[in-house]
Amino acid sequence: MTRNIRSKNSPVFVFDTLNQLREHALTRGVRATFSWQREDSRLVRYANSAISLNTTEDVTRLYVTALEARRSVSTSAVIDPYDVPAMLRIVDRAIEMLPHASEIHYARTMPCLSEDTYTEANFDPELATIDGAEITAFVERATRGLETDDIMLSGNFSTGVCERAEMSTASPHINYWRGTDAGITLVLSSLKDKWEINAEQFVWRRADLDPESIYERLAWMREQYLTRPGVRLPLGAYSIVLGNAALSEYAFFLSYLSASGRMEKLGYSMLSTDDVGKQVLSPLCTMVEDPALLATFPVPVDSYGRHRERRAIFDRGVFTGFIREQSEADEYGEIPTGHDVTQLSLALLPGDRDVRTIQEFAALPRDRDILYIPYLHYVGLVNPSAGLITGTSRFGALFLKQDGSIELPYNVRLTLSLRDLFGKHLSWLSAYSEPYGSSSSYGARNPGTVLVPVLGGFEDVEIEISNESF
Amino acid sequence: MSNTDRVPTPNQWKEHIKRLTAGGASYADVRYYSEDLSGNISLHNGNLVNPYSGGSGIAQQSESGYGVRCLYGGAWGFAASSDPAQITATFDRALDNAKTAAGRVSFPIRLADKEVLSGEFVSPCARDPFDVPIEEQIAFLNGLDAVLNQTGVAQRAINLSATRTKIEYYDSEGAEIRKQIINFFPSMTVMGRGTSGDMQRRTYKPPRLGESRGWEIMDPEHWHTEGERLVRELNELLVAPACPVDTRSVIILPDMMFLQVHETIGHALELDRILGYELSFAGGSFVRLEDFGNLQYGSTRLTARADATVPNSPGSFGYDDDGVAAQNRLLIDRGTLVGAISSRQTVTEANAKAGRDIFAGSGGANRACAFNRTPIERMTNINIDPGNDGNLDDIIADTERGIIVSGDRSWSIGSNREQFHFATEIAWLVEDGKRCGVVRNPSYQGMTLDFYRSLTAVGDASTWEVHYVPNCGKGAPGQIMQLGHGIPVCRFDNVKVGE
Ligand SMILES: [Zn+2]
Repeated sequence: MTRNIRSKNSPVFVFDTLNQLREHALTRGVRATFSWQREDSRLVRYANSAISLNTTEDVTRLYVTALEARRSVSTSAVIDPYDVPAMLRIVDRAIEMLPHASEIHYARTMPCLSEDTYTEANFDPELATIDGAEITAFVERATRGLETDDIMLSGNFSTGVCERAEMSTASPHINYWRGTDAGITLVLSSLKDKWEINAEQFVWRRADLDPESIYERLAWMREQYLTRPGVRLPLGAYSIVLGNAALSEYAFFLSYLSASGRMEKLGYSMLSTDDVGKQVLSPLCTMVEDPALLATFPVPVDSYGRHRERRAIFDRGVFTGFIREQSEADEYGEIPTGHDVTQLSLALLPGDRDVRTIQEFAALPRDRDILYIPYLHYVGLVNPSAGLITGTSRFGALFLKQDGSIELPYNVRLTLSLRDLFGKHLSWLSAYSEPYGSSSSYGARNPGTVLVPVLGGFEDVEIEISNESF
Repeated sequence: MSNTDRVPTPNQWKEHIKRLTAGGASYADVRYYSEDLSGNISLHNGNLVNPYSGGSGIAQQSESGYGVRCLYGGAWGFAASSDPAQITATFDRALDNAKTAAGRVSFPIRLADKEVLSGEFVSPCARDPFDVPIEEQIAFLNGLDAVLNQTGVAQRAINLSATRTKIEYYDSEGAEIRKQIINFFPSMTVMGRGTSGDMQRRTYKPPRLGESRGWEIMDPEHWHTEGERLVRELNELLVAPACPVDTRSVIILPDMMFLQVHETIGHALELDRILGYELSFAGGSFVRLEDFGNLQYGSTRLTARADATVPNSPGSFGYDDDGVAAQNRLLIDRGTLVGAISSRQTVTEANAKAGRDIFAGSGGANRACAFNRTPIERMTNINIDPGNDGNLDDIIADTERGIIVSGDRSWSIGSNREQFHFATEIAWLVEDGKRCGVVRNPSYQGMTLDFYRSLTAVGDASTWEVHYVPNCGKGAPGQIMQLGHGIPVCRFDNVKVGE
């Protein structure tokens, strides 16, 4: 039976379905693209040491674009995946609206796949069948003995199977992707004192689920937060160490405000074409977009059938140029770079510092005071053209003092330019990387991660607000 | 759910609910979205193109489906589907999910009493945007684009975004509610690169423009006047000096003050955040249960309310997704914290945990953004009452050294909403009671309580505007919600401005 997204036959079922839509559009003499997204998701949510929500959803979305060279209209819908007549109505709706669109000033390129591509490298049948009881058992193990009347567990265990496919009237070929993922965030927080610490994990196969590493981090952080003094840090410049989550946030914005060709065309990039080939960041900073990075849920070909290859965005700090999508090529005469994909496969490459965890780092001797910021909350783009962004520390900052002691700083705000952060401030990066999830979207499930070092050191970074309590 | 012949009748939905309660559920409800339509038309530099994706400038999206929520053993279970063949299975899944969740309960959920209602709500709309021919919409956009296409403007973006949602709601207590809500969020933006090299922008997102919010708000004369203003202000920004970095009075116009209120009163007073239900992602609140009735949130000039009865706002929706009718509740009464944005679940829990009756019944603010999401505390219209400090000119005349800020540009808030940093599109300096020149890249920051306690002027009713928020994000899985803010001009003293 093909009714199951987990079924071996699902790729064939999707091909057959999209091909029926394709043939229908061809019969009506219209060029069109079809894109399919199906998910079967499960979320177990914790709050106040209870399961606050246990939810499942099985949702399929169809996206259709009808187009002529200079006209296009898109329609999309949540569909019953077995109701082809209803899908045809969505195609017809786009076709009917098309003549009403006005012409644009340039011609659009039609996607034309020259071969079928089926990608299931991130599909793990074991993770695809994880159930509610197994999820709760994972959480129990990862947090055993850590809760009290005051210390409460919050968190999410979000997992699912996701399936995407693309086809167009230009050829009878499909670009199909199916994957599994799990994103786990577990938080311990004190009701009385309002501090919060967390541990996270982003995986695509069941074998990588590791409740012990979550437990070790939470238990160690909890010990610090129960035994060390809280402190309001004076404003000023600090040596800081960023954790995996904070680094991934900065790395994401670095790519968005520098590599994105569309942002450059909109005038919102911190770099310009004059910067190509120039040393704009520290030589320690190499960022790549690499479809070989399995942890980032890559696709081998893009929506236009272009085989994707690894490329550096920053090569030891030298900017190599913008990522260009086909639509920019069409509108601005640029050359597309093969990045018409749902999720980029970004990595900030590791450095040479042999340290795997904050537990290890805190135990090392140090020659200065160091502020550890694991996570950055609610980043705002203060001035995109200057790469100036602001955000606040969250989930368990530590002040590692030169004398070996540890204090618990109240959260602080950092407002800084990414060019400075990954330029003059960058001091070292850990030799070990971990993926950090970037798939928490407000719409459809589309797993993705940014692969970043587990820790990174930065010098002389200013804090501009220092909270008065946790 | 396109196969309408398989959609249950009201009685069939109720039968499914009865089956869950017979199976042990202490409560159950279903929301059926027979239609959830959204449409978007974007014109970018004269092309029908989405400026941010490069995709088609005309996009229409439709959803239909149902979500089932039930309580078992003091815990929620939820399941949703768009497949009419799966209705029985989806109800069963919701109960199964609740049974799993009941294995770990710390405070058994009890719902506050409510008046069981049958009713209907239709949002005010004279001309449904989905009934307006595409050619007419494009002609409007082209006319407006010609106004924006002037010297200094490098990028022009005009967007028309509309939604139409039809919802049926049934619960095990007997409520039966129908809603049809049309929202329409037009906007226009001009951008240009200034002499400093930074990109500057001005945006117009209209406040409430009358008694309804359909296509009738697209009066060409009004939009062309606003467009001319944007272009003029952008050109001033392109050559303006940078915002000073110092401490001064900040006069916040309603088109920015709505966001200040949204982030540091609205989100801070969501009772689920206060109770710790959003700690895994969105965050908590600096407010504690013992603060209600005691905390001096702001100066005595500050009175704030959650008013879902404001006419013609996306924050007014008739009934929430607990089936509770629209409420108008005080949040802050002349500076003192007195209320929260609440639901049937959270008021019961908060009263029990506080050991006193802080809240009298649900505040009617439990809303879900789609059939496949569960309701959570969402803002309705979070308003500031008008004050007695005159109009904008009076407030400027009364300000020795200040800055007037307008138009949101960026926002970043501490996870407990205890502090904030905002950047705005434009600002004007105020010296000795007079409005002076424009400055670029304005920003300001502060600690929430210190800030509201330094509120020294609140504009009168002539300055009060209702602004709409189309995209408030919260929850896991994420939800985007629409709401409103009725806001006067406000002035705060001793605020840190500049980067
Ligand atoms: Zn919001």
